[in-house]
Amino acid sequence: MRVEVDLDKCTGHGICESIADDVFEVQDDGTVLIHENERPEADRERMQQAVTQCPAAALRLVD
Amino acid sequence: MTVVSSPQVREYSPYDLSTRRFWSQPFEVRDETFAALRAADGLTWHHPLPTMFPMEEPGFWALTRRADIAYVSQHPELFTSARGIALDPMPFEVQQIATFFLAMDPPQHTTYRRLISSAFTPRNVRRIEEQIQKNAVAVVDDLVGAGDVDFVAACSARLPMLTITEMLGVEPSEREAVAKAAEKLFSMSDDEYSSLEERAQNTINEMILLSNTGIELAKYRRSHPGDDLMTSIVNAEVDGHRLTDEEIGAFLILLSSAGNDTTKQTTTHAMLALVNNPAQRDWLMEDFENRIGPAIEEFIRFSSPVMQFARFATEDTEIAGQQIKAGDKLGLFYCSANRDETVFDDPHAFDLQRSPNPHLGFGGGGPHFCLGNQLAKAELRNLFRELLTRLKTVEFGEPDLLLSNFVHGVKRLPAFIK
Repeated sequence: MRVEVDLDKCTGHGICESIADDVFEVQDDGTVLIHENERPEADRERMQQAVTQCPAAALRLVD
Repeated sequence: MTVVSSPQVREYSPYDLSTRRFWSQPFEVRDETFAALRAADGLTWHHPLPTMFPMEEPGFWALTRRADIAYVSQHPELFTSARGIALDPMPFEVQQIATFFLAMDPPQHTTYRRLISSAFTPRNVRRIEEQIQKNAVAVVDDLVGAGDVDFVAACSARLPMLTITEMLGVEPSEREAVAKAAEKLFSMSDDEYSSLEERAQNTINEMILLSNTGIELAKYRRSHPGDDLMTSIVNAEVDGHRLTDEEIGAFLILLSSAGNDTTKQTTTHAMLALVNNPAQRDWLMEDFENRIGPAIEEFIRFSSPVMQFARFATEDTEIAGQQIKAGDKLGLFYCSANRDETVFDDPHAFDLQRSPNPHLGFGGGGPHFCLGNQLAKAELRNLFRELLTRLKTVEFGEPDLLLSNFVHGVKRLPAFIK
């Protein structure tokens, strides 16, 4: 499972970072950096939460 | 879904959302009207809100359901902010000064948003959390054993003002004036703050004071860089673009209102709700550090400090089966979305254990979702930790409510604190 960001939509709200700060980091230019795109299955629920709660709908999960 | 066809001459809804009389009722009473609109089909068309400017608008569509507001917020290409976001008729030039990049669409908005967002990332909020905590301790130090006080002035108003003005690097001697001007600017509908005749002129005056403060600060930080938000703002650059003095002035107006009044009102409403619901407070205090996160979401849902913003349709379209014409104005009532019974069980109950709690207290998502959400949560977490662990007895009198269709506000709250 991969987590991907659409940088045209991302406005750096940082909700994802507050859910998983080891994976997502909003940089000073206001876009998110994903540290490890490939996520283990055990991390699905947390990644799904980040995707659902992104106010800009900029994140998605790809199986 | 059936499409309700618009008549040639639109009929105004018999439900009144547009008079001072409606907004002078308490929140719960107003929500009886919103509940009727949420339950009805389609959308309803309403008379324009009262305005202090010589402007005529035909009216607006009222969006009251959570799903409709989220849809509109997340489709800026169909529902623009660039013609203004004030639901009460207000000249666009005035709105531009007061709301800065709130009245923009992508991609212009995205450029500005990124210029500013660096200061508000979770990492940078964590960096200033120590300072927020220190200020929260200081605010509550003054409250312990204070006896009879106005809780709004003695507590709610203090931490947001300290936080934002410190972030910006406003001199301590000027902080009070900046906060007062911001409060007045967004409380113009209440007679206490200005008479009807004086309102338009006062609005301009408060804007000029705030804007000039921003411009002065920017000039100073260009020649004397410091470790503050204003220094990062004057140095920030995205795609070769930097903020002009005028833009920095407009941004200061936005920050000093959006960063002050919102958290202030939430503090008052949440503390009042905790005192009125001792079982909720007990549940929170059993495990404060693990429960304050979800509790804050409920503080914000319950308070709904910003009650509405507007959008304009860019083309003929449809919402909830209702035909919308290009150029129609839409009122997004977050206050109603946060009581939507199809989303929240027992929506009028203050329930800290709600999960999930998809409130629209920070907006309906999309590019304009509240930039300061992390900062607001950090302020509330630190302030309520101090309030709830250190104040043994808090008794409240009757809140003195602000008359406004925009801010869900409490002007004064008599309190006895032991």
